[in-house]
Amino acid sequence: MESRRLSRAEVISRSDALPAFPEIVLQILVAIDDDEANMAMLVEHIRRDPVTAARVLSLANAAVLKSRRQGAITDLFTATSLIGTGRVRETALLSSLGNFFGHSSAAMPSTFWHHSIAAGMCAQELALLSRSGPALGAALIAGLLHDVGQLWLQCFRADAFAAAQAGAGEHCISISEAERECFGVDHAVIGGWLADHWALPENICRAIRFHHVPDEALDEALVPVVHIAEVLSNALDLSQGCVNHVCSFSVPACDVLGLKWNADVQPLFGRMEARSRHASKAFPRIGLR
Amino acid sequence: MHYLPLTELQAGMVLAMPVRVVVCGQLRFSLPAMHILTVDNLHQLAAHHAEYAFVALPDERVDEEIAVESALAARRTLEIFAGADLGDPNMAALFDQVLIYRSK
Repeated sequence: MESRRLSRAEVISRSDALPAFPEIVLQILVAIDDDEANMAMLVEHIRRDPVTAARVLSLANAAVLKSRRQGAITDLFTATSLIGTGRVRETALLSSLGNFFGHSSAAMPSTFWHHSIAAGMCAQELALLSRSGPALGAALIAGLLHDVGQLWLQCFRADAFAAAQAGAGEHCISISEAERECFGVDHAVIGGWLADHWALPENICRAIRFHHVPDEALDEALVPVVHIAEVLSNALDLSQGCVNHVCSFSVPACDVLGLKWNADVQPLFGRMEARSRHASKAFPRIGLR
Repeated sequence: MHYLPLTELQAGMVLAMPVRVVVCGQLRFSLPAMHILTVDNLHQLAAHHAEYAFVALPDERVDEEIAVESALAARRTLEIFAGADLGDPNMAALFDQVLIYRSK
């Protein structure tokens, strides 16, 4: 599995060949703590993204059709007023990041996107558990982007990445360990570098960077959220992928979230699965095989 | 009883828990527990962008089907946890809850 070691400089320089990171994600983050803030700003940015604009209008018109109101909605302001800024923001995030993933690598399996959606939904549910937890929008973005380092590896080191994945299975080691043997760093570190390069907030950068080693950054509320979100998305088989495995998880991260593995978690599992299935149907793969 | 995404809800299903759609702290739409969903309700839920509901579903499977599906769920859960140390009480507790969930 020997391969050339990766440096931050190489990862960042190559990332310029990826599609531009969606600006709307950064704009949404500006008002992440206020569900209804800056509707005009949000609409303005959605307007620049035809795919996302079409999805928002489609969502609004589905609501109109089903509530039997008259007339199609063709205006984004009206659509946003009808749906609510919070829901439009979630739609914009899922749509824009789905496009970004899909257009970055056609070779990435669709299970990658479904796993990302599942982790995003699980992260939001876990964030809801704690009143002092991270904002739901930040939890969704961090969950969606937590494995973006694997996307980079698939785009720019596809053969070595495939070898690392195969090696992990053959040698019964984690994919992170196999990546470190192969590249000197794992996808979490690469994802953290990318998030930092894209000027994402520090809490999201750290959640991506430490999602496999959360005990190193438990002071950041988003870190245990994303770590446990990924564990549960795998445990519950939410992306229906043959690669879903649970080998370990951080007990301190569970403690931070107040999670106990008893019958009380059954409703949480149910909500996570229902929301993941709903989102996967609403935002199917785009350009992924 | 199951949480089902909106797309899988059908008229005639019985809500096992109330549905409450809250936007910005305001209750926009609600249905009580034990309510039988109608086609209009499904449209209302979609219009209010509900994502899921908790419904009571009669289990119409025969014992043999239940046994087969439980065995498949157990096998898949064991596959997912194949690399885990189930001797660890925390891991075992998570495994047990996942197995219970998947076996429903």
